[in-house]
Amino acid sequence: MSYEMIAVMMFSTMLLMMLTGQRVFGVIGFVATASALWLWGTSAQTMGFSAAITLMKWYPLLTLPMFIFMGYVLSESRLAEDLYRMFHVWFGPVPGGLAIGTILLMVLISAMNGLSVAGMAIGATIALPELLKRGYDKRMITGVIQAGSSLGILIPPSVVLVLYSMIARQPVSQLWLAGVFPGLMMAAMFVLYIYIRCKITPSLGPVLAGDDLVAGRAERYRLLGAGALPFLIFIVMMVPFIYGYTSLVEASVVGALAAVAAAAIKGRLTWKLIESCAKSTLMISCMFMWIILAALSFGAVFDGLGAVKAIEGFFIGQLGLSPWEILILMQLSYLIMGMFLDDTAMLVIVAPLYVPLVGVLGFDLIWYGVLYTITCQIAYLTPPFGYNLFLMRAMAPPEIGIRDIYASVLPFVGVMILALVLVMMFPQIALWLPQYVNQ
Amino acid sequence: MPRFTLTYVRVIDRMNYGIGRFAMYLLFVLMGVLLWSSITKAAGSPANWTLEIAQFVMVAYYVLGGPWSMQEGSHVRMDLLYETWTPQRKAWWDAFTVFALMFYLCVLIWGAWDSAVYSLGLRYNPIEVAWLPFDLPWVRTGFMERAPTAFRPYLWPVKIVMLLGFVLMLLQAISCLIRDIATIRGEAIP
Repeated sequence: MSYEMIAVMMFSTMLLMMLTGQRVFGVIGFVATASALWLWGTSAQTMGFSAAITLMKWYPLLTLPMFIFMGYVLSESRLAEDLYRMFHVWFGPVPGGLAIGTILLMVLISAMNGLSVAGMAIGATIALPELLKRGYDKRMITGVIQAGSSLGILIPPSVVLVLYSMIARQPVSQLWLAGVFPGLMMAAMFVLYIYIRCKITPSLGPVLAGDDLVAGRAERYRLLGAGALPFLIFIVMMVPFIYGYTSLVEASVVGALAAVAAAAIKGRLTWKLIESCAKSTLMISCMFMWIILAALSFGAVFDGLGAVKAIEGFFIGQLGLSPWEILILMQLSYLIMGMFLDDTAMLVIVAPLYVPLVGVLGFDLIWYGVLYTITCQIAYLTPPFGYNLFLMRAMAPPEIGIRDIYASVLPFVGVMILALVLVMMFPQIALWLPQYVNQ
Repeated sequence: MPRFTLTYVRVIDRMNYGIGRFAMYLLFVLMGVLLWSSITKAAGSPANWTLEIAQFVMVAYYVLGGPWSMQEGSHVRMDLLYETWTPQRKAWWDAFTVFALMFYLCVLIWGAWDSAVYSLGLRYNPIEVAWLPFDLPWVRTGFMERAPTAFRPYLWPVKIVMLLGFVLMLLQAISCLIRDIATIRGEAIP
C-alpha cells in the first residue's frame, strides 16, 4: 500500500470512529498508536509516550490554564455585568443596539482572554437572558454571542496564535499584534451586519424606549467607568510583554492575577469562586491537553509517512497550480476539515502539514497566522463539530433549540468568510501594526 | 452487577476524585513558580530552576487531573449522532469503543514504563544468599537520567508521575466501562 493511501485510511478511520461518539482524544490516540505499531512494529511503541515529552517541552503551552482560569474568574465573578449594563444604556436606542453592544462587550472580553470559552459563558449568562426579555430574535442573538465570542482567539491575547507560533516558529508578540486590526475589522463587520439587518426588519432587534433608559446623566457616565477595567487588565498584561519585561508565560500569569485582583476590588472574590474557577480550569485544560497529546502522536505518524512531502508534491507537482491557487485551496480544505475535526486536533495535525508549505510558497507566515486563526474561528462555528456550538448547547436556555443554534451561525460565517477574503486580498490589514511596532 | 464491580467503581472513582482535587491546586503552584521567575528576573538574578519545575508541574497537572475530568465527562465527543441516542444506546457504543481508548492508554503506559525504567537505570540484580537454594530477586538503580540544562534535574520523578497518571486513567476507563455495562443492564450505579 502506498503511503498516501495509508494516510487517507488513517484519516477516514479517525472520522468514522469519531462518529461513534467516543472521546475525541481516545479516538485520535488509538488510530495513531495502532497504525504506528502496525506500520513499524513494536519499535514504534514509544510513539504515544514521546508525544508526552514533546508536550512537556512546549513551554508556551503553560499559558493555556492561565488564560482559561482568567476567563473563568472574569465570567464567574460577574465583572462583565457592569460592562453589559454600560452598553445596554448607551446603545439601547439604536436598532439592534443591544446586539451591537453585545459584540462590543465581546471585543472587550476578547482583549482580556485568549479563548472563546469566557465570552461564551458571559454572553450566555448575562447578555442572552436580557436580550430574550427585550424581544430580540433568538436566532440572531444566539449567532451574535457565538460569533462575537470567537473573536477571543483573534484579538490578543490569543491561545490559538500561541499554538500556531510553536508550529510556525514565529514570535508570538508579532502574531498577536497582527491579530488586532483584523479582529477589530471583523467586529465592525458584525456590527454593520446587525445594524443593516435590524434596519430592514426592525422586529429582529426592537429599539429600547421608556423605562429601560431612565438612567440619568450621572449614571450613564458612571457606567462608562466600568469600561476602564478591561483596558486596565489588558494594559497590565500586555505592555510589559510587548516591551519584553515579562515572557509570554509570565504575562499570562500576570493577567490571571490581574483578573483575581479585579474581582477582589469589586468585592466578589470568595474562596468558593476561586475553587469553582480552578475546577472548571482543570476540566477544560485536561480536555485540551489530552487532545493535543493524542494529536501529536498522530502528527508524528503522519510525519513518518512523509505526508508533508506528499501534500507538497500533490499541490505543486501534480496540480501545477500557482501559489495563490494553492493557498486558496488550502483554506478551503481547512474550512471543510474544520467542520468535522476538533479544532485543537486540527491545529496539531493539519497545521504542521500546511505551514511549511506556505513558507515554501513564499508567503508571510505572520500573515498566514491571521488567516489561519480566522479559519479556526469559522471552524468553531460550523456544524456538526464546532466548539462554540457545543458550549452554546450546554449553556443556552431551553427555548433555544439545536436547530436555532445551527441556523443562527450561518450569516456570521458568511461575514467571517468575507473578512478572510479581505485579509487575503489586503495583507496590510494584518501586517501594518506588527511592522510599525518592529521599526 | 456483581458486588466487586460496585466496590471497584466506588474505590476508583473516589481515589481519582481525590487525586484530581490535588491536581487542581497545582494550578496555584504553577502560578507561584512562574511569578517567582519574573520576580527574580526583575531583581537581576533569574532563577535557573523555574522553567523546568513549571514544566513538571504542568505535566502533573493535566496527567493527574485527567482521570477526574474523564469521570466528570468533560472530554469532548463528536456528538452529531451521539446526542440523539438514548442513554442505553450510548452505553452500548461506549462499551465497545472504550477499548480503543484503553488500547491507546496501554501503549502510553508501555512507553512510560520503559522510559521510567531507563531514567532510573534499573537493572535486575539478584542477591546470592548462602543458605537459600535460589537467588533473591532484587532490582538496583543505576545511571540516573538528568535533563541537559544548567539546572540538571533528575527526570525520574516526572516520568513516574506520568506512568502513574496513565495507569489511573486506565483504571478510570475500566470504571466507565462498568458503569456502561450497568446502564445496559438497566441498573444504576450511584
